[in-house]
Amino acid sequence: MKRNRKLLALALAALTAAASLTACAGDQSGESSAAPSGEETSAVSSEESHDPVTVTTNLSDGELSKDQIAQFKEKYPWITVELQKLDDAKMAAALATGTAPDCIRGTGVFELPSYAIKGIAADITDRIEKSEVIRKDDLLPVTNVCRFDGTTIGKGPYYGLPKDWSNDTALFYNKKCFDAAGVPVPDSKTALTWPQVFELAKKLTVVKDKKVVQYGLSATEWGKTDANFNQMLQYVASAGAAISSADNKTMNFDIPAVRDYLTLWADAAKNNVGPNAVNNDQTPGGDLFLANKSALLIDGYWYGGVIRGNDNAKTHLDDFGMLPTPTAPNGKRVAAPSSAVSLMLYKQSKNPDDAWKFLEWYIGGSPADERAKAGWGLPIFKSKMAEIPQETDFDKELLAVVNDESAAMESFLPVNPYLANGGWNIFDKYYQPLVFGKTTVDNMVKNMTKDANDTVTEAVNSISK
Amino acid sequence: MVMKVMKEKTRKAVTFYSLVGPWFLVFLALSLLPLCFGFYLSFTNYYGFNMDNLRLVGLHNYQLVFTDTEAMYAMYRTFVYAIVSVPLTTAISLLLALLLNGAIRGLGFFRTSFYLPSIMPAITTIFIFKQLLYSSNGGFLNMVLGWFGLPEVNWLGYDFCTASLILMSAWGAGGGLLIFMAGLKGIPAALYEAASIDGAGSAQRFFRITVPLITPVIFFNLVMGLISAFQVYMQPILLNGTQLLSHPLKPNYLYAVHAFQQIFGSQRFAYGMALLWVLFVIILLFSCAVFFTSKYWVYSESD
Repeated sequence: MKRNRKLLALALAALTAAASLTACAGDQSGESSAAPSGEETSAVSSEESHDPVTVTTNLSDGELSKDQIAQFKEKYPWITVELQKLDDAKMAAALATGTAPDCIRGTGVFELPSYAIKGIAADITDRIEKSEVIRKDDLLPVTNVCRFDGTTIGKGPYYGLPKDWSNDTALFYNKKCFDAAGVPVPDSKTALTWPQVFELAKKLTVVKDKKVVQYGLSATEWGKTDANFNQMLQYVASAGAAISSADNKTMNFDIPAVRDYLTLWADAAKNNVGPNAVNNDQTPGGDLFLANKSALLIDGYWYGGVIRGNDNAKTHLDDFGMLPTPTAPNGKRVAAPSSAVSLMLYKQSKNPDDAWKFLEWYIGGSPADERAKAGWGLPIFKSKMAEIPQETDFDKELLAVVNDESAAMESFLPVNPYLANGGWNIFDKYYQPLVFGKTTVDNMVKNMTKDANDTVTEAVNSISK
Repeated sequence: MVMKVMKEKTRKAVTFYSLVGPWFLVFLALSLLPLCFGFYLSFTNYYGFNMDNLRLVGLHNYQLVFTDTEAMYAMYRTFVYAIVSVPLTTAISLLLALLLNGAIRGLGFFRTSFYLPSIMPAITTIFIFKQLLYSSNGGFLNMVLGWFGLPEVNWLGYDFCTASLILMSAWGAGGGLLIFMAGLKGIPAALYEAASIDGAGSAQRFFRITVPLITPVIFFNLVMGLISAFQVYMQPILLNGTQLLSHPLKPNYLYAVHAFQQIFGSQRFAYGMALLWVLFVIILLFSCAVFFTSKYWVYSESD
């Protein structure tokens, strides 16, 4: 009996060991064991043979549907596309461990330059030149946001391509809210200055019985009406100023453009023009805008897709429209994308050629047409601009604003590639105390400058040999 | 005879190592080795992508931990949070266990209801508290204040954000409930009977019998609670922000938040690891301190 118990214990131990070793094993980006389709539906020559591979990407479910994955599989039967859900923290960990997806989804504006200098994103210039799907002469100038020569965005090799883009600091308006405040809607052919926007927002904020029943401004569709780093960079670019040195190795936020921007926003928080940390209204800005409780929303063309799809908003689409991207006082028009979600080829990918096939297909193939027709962003190809929605007056007004500021979209936000996450972290850290009155604009710009330079110096030292 | 004993010993050893072996291998591969590697990296200029350009920087990162005013401030706020939230949560767990320690109707329902919050995902808890309780737009707490004609409070502003965080943590007090209930069940009923016969009231019975005999469970909950409290990072971040890289307000800027921001926000991996190793030492020292004091207040059957 004792002996049987011991044998049972040993057997259980062996089973546990086998189970734990199986659990440890497995690499998500390993080769797939799926055999290619038996039918000749692929565009590939039957004389070519390919080992089955898995190409990974961190595009979201909404950006790459199952149908699209099946379409790609039909075209390239030996390639299985696998989606990986990676937030910022997981992506940082994946990059650190060398397990990032083959096709990295990231923002062309903030992440691509950083990935380029860190040797994470591969130079795809030659591949674009040779591509039969992506014609270089058909690319709009905005795609230069994915070019970086080590110091200047917009020049040098391509390290990725945007899947679409928007004029992210334009203004959407809700006419119902304007009527409720008794304020006329501004002319959509004239760009306001940011001070004018905030004055307008104050007039549009309606208070009844000491409670705000309508806000004047939402800063983003997902959060509160707070200043953010993207929009500050747009203001600085419009003012013709710079926060980084020419080689990006030092930064200085203590410039008039930054001070003016922060002062505007601190004043806006005091005047309750939108939900913010001080009034502790947790309702996202987009929800308020669509529910006719916020008159203006800072967002780009892509948000038109949200408005078209919203059950409440689509019943009165003519009440919504777009105003051009505001400028700094006496500044130039800068309607640059703040994001430009792009696909980059991971330099350490084990299957770069197959990963490129997916990237090329996704950016320039049938998904590009589907994206253009859906109206969830502007296409990067001149030939596909005619495919964007143009049926309703709402669609036409958006297109008119986009066409009007097309020249202003060829400039880029002054992002420092050595500052991880574009400085959002540092900005957020000092902005909150500012709106609560715990610090001053003086202290904020000085502290931001110090923190940014500490981070940039360490990043430069870690790269230099 | 000697041979027989040795064979028996060998058999026992083989059985032992076979059973603990899988766990130990996994611990070695997935815990100990990464910990050691992380410790090594904390002495380098590791930035997440420069493995081919790694340089040793000596104690630079550790010096930075103690000269960085943010890290020290964050440590101070963590102490405040831990020292208030852990005893509070433990006291609530004990109170709930006392209430449920008896033949009451619906015991199973109440036990489940009190325990449920401790197993809810943190994101859900944060959402409930942020949107439904603390928000000034339809939040329940401000609604109650309105009923009494009191002014609204910004529960997530500078003045109340730490209290709000502690309150949210206390909502998970049901996690210690089951352990306290088991501990209470272990107290012999004869002691209470004898005390009643001697004329002891309910308060005397509680303080002279229940509390002393339940001290081992209190001790366990305190130690585990302190270890958890020092590692809290998601709740303060998401209570004020909407993304994991959002920056909480200064009173809620805890040490683990600072480490998280350095690693994933600024990609200062080496410095972040130095911060975490310092945290490990501090937790160890705190735990040792609590263990040391336990001989003065924790009941042991061997005494």
